[in-house]
Amino acid sequence: MLQTFASSISSLLDSRADGHSLPAGLYNREDVFEADVDVFFRKHWICIGLECDVPEPGDANVIEIGNSSLIILRDDDNQIRVVHNVCRHRGSRILDAGSSVVSKLVCPYHQWTYELDGELAYAPHMGADFDKSCKSLRPVSFKSIGGLIYACLSDNPPADIEHLEEVMTERLAPYDIRNTKVAFQTDVVEHGNWKLTMENNRECYHCSANHPELCVSFVDLDFGFDPESLSPEDREQAEQHQALYADKTKSWEADGYPSAAVEQLVDCETNFRTQRLIISGAGESQTPDATAASSKLLGTMTRKDLGDTHLWGHNSWNHFMGDHAVVAIVIPLSADKTLVRTKWLVHKDAVEGVDYDLEKLTNVWVATTDQDAELVARSHAGALDPAYVPGPYSRFSETNLDKFATWYIDRMRAHGY
Amino acid sequence: MDIKTLTSASNAPTDVWDPELDDTLVCIDVHQETHDVKSFTFASPQGKRFAFQAGQYFLFDFPLGADAEPRCYSISSSPQRPNAFTVTVKRVPDGRVSNWLHDNLKSGATVKAQGPLGHFIRPSGAGKKLLLSGGSGITPVMSIVRDLADTCDPTDVVFIHAARTPLDLIFRDELSMLTTKMKGLRLHFLPEHLTGERWWPGITGRITSEYIKMAVPDIAERIVMCCGPAPFMAAARKISADLGVPTSNYIEESFDAAVIDDAELPIGEAPVVAKTFQVQFLKQARTIEVASEQTVLGCAKKAGLRLPSSCANGVCGTCKSKLVSGSVEMKHNGGIRQREVDAGLFLPCCSKPLSDLVIDR
Repeated sequence: MLQTFASSISSLLDSRADGHSLPAGLYNREDVFEADVDVFFRKHWICIGLECDVPEPGDANVIEIGNSSLIILRDDDNQIRVVHNVCRHRGSRILDAGSSVVSKLVCPYHQWTYELDGELAYAPHMGADFDKSCKSLRPVSFKSIGGLIYACLSDNPPADIEHLEEVMTERLAPYDIRNTKVAFQTDVVEHGNWKLTMENNRECYHCSANHPELCVSFVDLDFGFDPESLSPEDREQAEQHQALYADKTKSWEADGYPSAAVEQLVDCETNFRTQRLIISGAGESQTPDATAASSKLLGTMTRKDLGDTHLWGHNSWNHFMGDHAVVAIVIPLSADKTLVRTKWLVHKDAVEGVDYDLEKLTNVWVATTDQDAELVARSHAGALDPAYVPGPYSRFSETNLDKFATWYIDRMRAHGY
Repeated sequence: MDIKTLTSASNAPTDVWDPELDDTLVCIDVHQETHDVKSFTFASPQGKRFAFQAGQYFLFDFPLGADAEPRCYSISSSPQRPNAFTVTVKRVPDGRVSNWLHDNLKSGATVKAQGPLGHFIRPSGAGKKLLLSGGSGITPVMSIVRDLADTCDPTDVVFIHAARTPLDLIFRDELSMLTTKMKGLRLHFLPEHLTGERWWPGITGRITSEYIKMAVPDIAERIVMCCGPAPFMAAARKISADLGVPTSNYIEESFDAAVIDDAELPIGEAPVVAKTFQVQFLKQARTIEVASEQTVLGCAKKAGLRLPSSCANGVCGTCKSKLVSGSVEMKHNGGIRQREVDAGLFLPCCSKPLSDLVIDR
């Protein structure tokens, strides 16, 4: 076996104490950032978009991850394709970032022209003997799981995406996410490391003090609490709520809607968690009054009382509700900058101002996303301070952060760090 | 077609035909105008109203089989009657589309069309006008006269309509009736021969300088709008210029042969030349001539105009351009999407003009 020297990152990984947040260098060092992008955004499955980002044949959407640029497009047979945005001539970018409509993929530099399946159709001045057959655009491994597009830039994608696929295909079916449209999208650049962005999303310890809008419909205690730190009244309420979960989950599942939590968070390659969560208050949707924002329900949904099917990956979080869905994708930009791209999905035939009110639809997560950006920036600034020392995660409400950090260290090691 | 739907929907006056959204028309009436001319009236299946200007046309795609050709037909009806519009078509010997229309298009049929299109429109203001039409070139001009009649605008219009024989004078009775009502309209019919009619109260023959001088002594002060077969328009253009009409006051409409090709109407001494169209490139401020058999890109290159291009074969789409006005026959190889075409884009490398063009390049 090839002998390798442990990288300087290895000693940082070694120094992480169980149950504690990560050593500062893992949040702020440039070499760690490079390694993170390589390990977590090239060698693992990441969520890159949605089928409804490219609703019609000829629609293309370019997403940039590190130095990679990927074209998601819909071909003339209505099939989704994902190819590298790199011309096979001299490597020029073919499309600009964002959305466009294409009839062929034409490199603007020397007009090498590719069919929408990536095949090179036309390459001027290359001679009659030029073999175009081996110059197709390089395809990217991807899967559309219920309309969510997961891609892996490695030649050897992790096989355990199958568990995610199996679980989510069934859970997402009634929402028919393929037949939604993006009613609204925001791009928020958080001034923090991508892992702080993900950690912030994995706990609701911070929710009651920071997310008044979200807490109307979202129950912070769903993600753990220390019974001793609650007032007797709150504790009783929390215990009732937990009992309600058992009943609700049982009744939802009896109605044919899988609801119990499924977790694949440690000792795995593909990191995800899903569960059908109870929406509090009016119980319908994550809106300012917890009633549905769109009167045209998603897919084959006929009920508004089916809670919130939440889904985490290591670069995304999602909430699927009867009337709409909120999908967030996280793209690291640098050690201290992270793009959070949030999309609000409604039924593709829903009409703004008629079937839904855009303000009501987006209010909660626009506010929550801005609040989270502020919290992540605070965390990152603190982690840069020489006085920062990793602190302990709460064993009640931050167990998922401990699992995330453990998974992170394991995956780094598995890739040679 | 569901008549009830039509009736109820037409009660909503805000619902207007949107060229970006709508492309289906239903034929609601076919009317024999002369022995070889029929008018076809179209409505929107949803009962939408049409907002167009007198002189504009629609580009139709009639279902003639797999290789249907696009055809432009001027609207002959008044824009003041927006529930429906009418096009008037002469049966051209061996004309594939005009014969199909005459023989097959019946009330109730649906067709695909884009429009309204075109800039051959009634100039704003009350300036004096001369409307000159030859054969079925009367259609856009008729729309202008009907518009003037409906709006009761002050009018000083001379209308000269030339045709082969009195039996070929389209809208003859209606125009005669309109002169009794519209005080500023002076009408001259000019048949070339008297075949089929026993007597005729006026002059016969072709338009000449002498005739125009008598009929319209103040032609130099008028805006001239001309539509007819190419030789007729060539003669009219020359006569107008000779009689002092500035180029800026001379407006003409021209279409594909099938629309207004009265092949048997020989006019004056104008030479019969291959049909050419004026193609204007807005950003480069250049206008070139492109024959109906040439591609726009090929001619532009020869004229020293530079458009981005590569394959010259409708594959790569590099030359994709915005067509501001006019229509083309495009034979592409996948380099452009239908929804781009619907949005007014075309590929100059594989397009031949069907009318004068204005291109945003």
